[in-house]
Amino acid sequence: MYQGKDVEIYAGKKLLEGEEEKAKELEKKNVLGDFIKRLFRHKGAVIGIIIIFLFIFTAVFAPWLTSYSYDKPDISVMLKAPCREHIFGTDEFGRDIFTRIVFGARISLKVAFISVVFSLVIGTILGAVAGYYGGVVDYVISSITDIAWSFPTTLLAIAFIAALGTGLENVIIAIVLASWSGYCRVVRGQFLSLKEREFVEAARVLGMSDARIIFRHILPNSVTPVVVMATLELPKAIVIEASLSFLGLGAQPPLPSWGVILDSGKGLLEQAPWISLFPGLMIMLVVLGFNLFGDALRDVLDPKS
Amino acid sequence: MLKYVIKRILLMIPVLIIMSLFVFMIFYFAPGDPVSRIAGPNATPEVYESIKKKYGLDQPFIVQYLRFAKSVIEGDLGISILQERPVIEMIRERLPVTLQIGLLGFLVTFAIAIPAGVIAAVKKNTAVDYLCMTGSLVGIAIPTFWLGMLLLYVFAYKLRWFPISGDGTARQLVLLSFAIGLTNAAITARMVRSSMLEILKQDYVRTARSKGLSEKIVVYRHALKNALIPVITLMGLRLGWIIGGSVALEIIFSIPGIGRLLVDSILARDYPVVQGAMIVLTSSIILANVLADILYTVVDPRIRYS
Repeated sequence: MYQGKDVEIYAGKKLLEGEEEKAKELEKKNVLGDFIKRLFRHKGAVIGIIIIFLFIFTAVFAPWLTSYSYDKPDISVMLKAPCREHIFGTDEFGRDIFTRIVFGARISLKVAFISVVFSLVIGTILGAVAGYYGGVVDYVISSITDIAWSFPTTLLAIAFIAALGTGLENVIIAIVLASWSGYCRVVRGQFLSLKEREFVEAARVLGMSDARIIFRHILPNSVTPVVVMATLELPKAIVIEASLSFLGLGAQPPLPSWGVILDSGKGLLEQAPWISLFPGLMIMLVVLGFNLFGDALRDVLDPKS
Repeated sequence: MLKYVIKRILLMIPVLIIMSLFVFMIFYFAPGDPVSRIAGPNATPEVYESIKKKYGLDQPFIVQYLRFAKSVIEGDLGISILQERPVIEMIRERLPVTLQIGLLGFLVTFAIAIPAGVIAAVKKNTAVDYLCMTGSLVGIAIPTFWLGMLLLYVFAYKLRWFPISGDGTARQLVLLSFAIGLTNAAITARMVRSSMLEILKQDYVRTARSKGLSEKIVVYRHALKNALIPVITLMGLRLGWIIGGSVALEIIFSIPGIGRLLVDSILARDYPVVQGAMIVLTSSIILANVLADILYTVVDPRIRYS
């Protein structure tokens, strides 16, 4: 039971808390609004977003964008140059290149998003553990990370494919195993600097568990660099998938991965250059889109700029 | 200085051990039974057992690894399953081509990236700068192997300036090196530009300018030398990227380099060759990183590692 002055203090406290929450909400809205405003004022970001949106749209609505099948041969229209019926031409089996590219967008984006999510989660957890606990744990994790990081992702992915065998699932696993180290380095660095700060000290004094401190207090503060990194890793994953499939180590024909289409175009470069031209152009465009967006995100999120 | 160099070289040892363990595991955990991979599907049980014994595949993991590591140190990379000859011999045949590609690739990189980066930095925020940086943005987005196909189509099929299929001559390598050098230059030009911008802000550049030296001398004599120092280290890291990129290019240009050997052996499941090629490639990347680090300290006397 509250009496006299106590009630007043209690009411005042409540009032204050309410105000604080309101202020916090307002600030959150402002921060988000400000972020979106700045992002849309950034030319690179807008171009990037448009390109990315177009590709996601293509991937999602692939069956509605074309009346052809991506894998059914049609010998009556073999190796046709781009024309009105086949705007990107046809391949040696008479399959419509546009259709194959449209369905290939599904493969590219799927592989990229899945592999980036997994490598992000693995890298972040390892980096958080290494940075937070330090000592021997840190030494072991960061030694392995540094070694993994010093090798080019493509070559590492090829090595993992050698062990795992070919196929799209293995491509995803190989990309994850080859690219988690970047996140680990970034998150570890963030944790090393953040764990000495007062708010972490306070959380520790209050007796919070390590997991709670890591996930609720430090991790949210290191989201920014990880998000920027993930955006820039997506195009890398797309290129690695295409390269592996091109080499015959990834998706296998008749799957319409852009790398598979390029591989089939390789031998027909003289007779049918359009088979090789368009898938490469698509890879370039989508990579450009993600790079523009990622660079813009870094500019906008960086408080120094 | 010497202490740092020795320390840096000694630090390579654990890296090499982990790397060799990893390469060994590729073979150990690869799909399928390693014995029947070597013996073939129609081997009798006796042959099967003798091969298991001969290759030491009946031994535990750690013994197998140590045996593998010992032979690698002795320069023995095993025998190719497919061609039945020493892997080291096959690699020795293929390595020079890949090395040439790497070297030429770096030459093209520098020939394009340094002028482009310097001009972009000196003429910051002008049309020239925007042009260079847009070019670099597009260049970074172009997949190297596709650029190779484009160059092959235009310069070999259409203009006929270069031979179409791989005869391993220097002329063929030029086209391939351009494919790899152009994309690498796109990234390097950005580094040169930002490094140059940093240097042009320094006091000693202002001093040089106020001494009345011409802008040319300030930029090329004073600033450029220092701006290239951080680029050197990054070039050490780029070697791995060049090797990775040259794998697909060697296939497009049908050039018998080590990258093509690697992919062909993976597809044919010739694991001793895969291991050998991986060992050689990864060791050269590790070595390049260390050399770049050491070079960095030699070039820049301000940097002293304890």
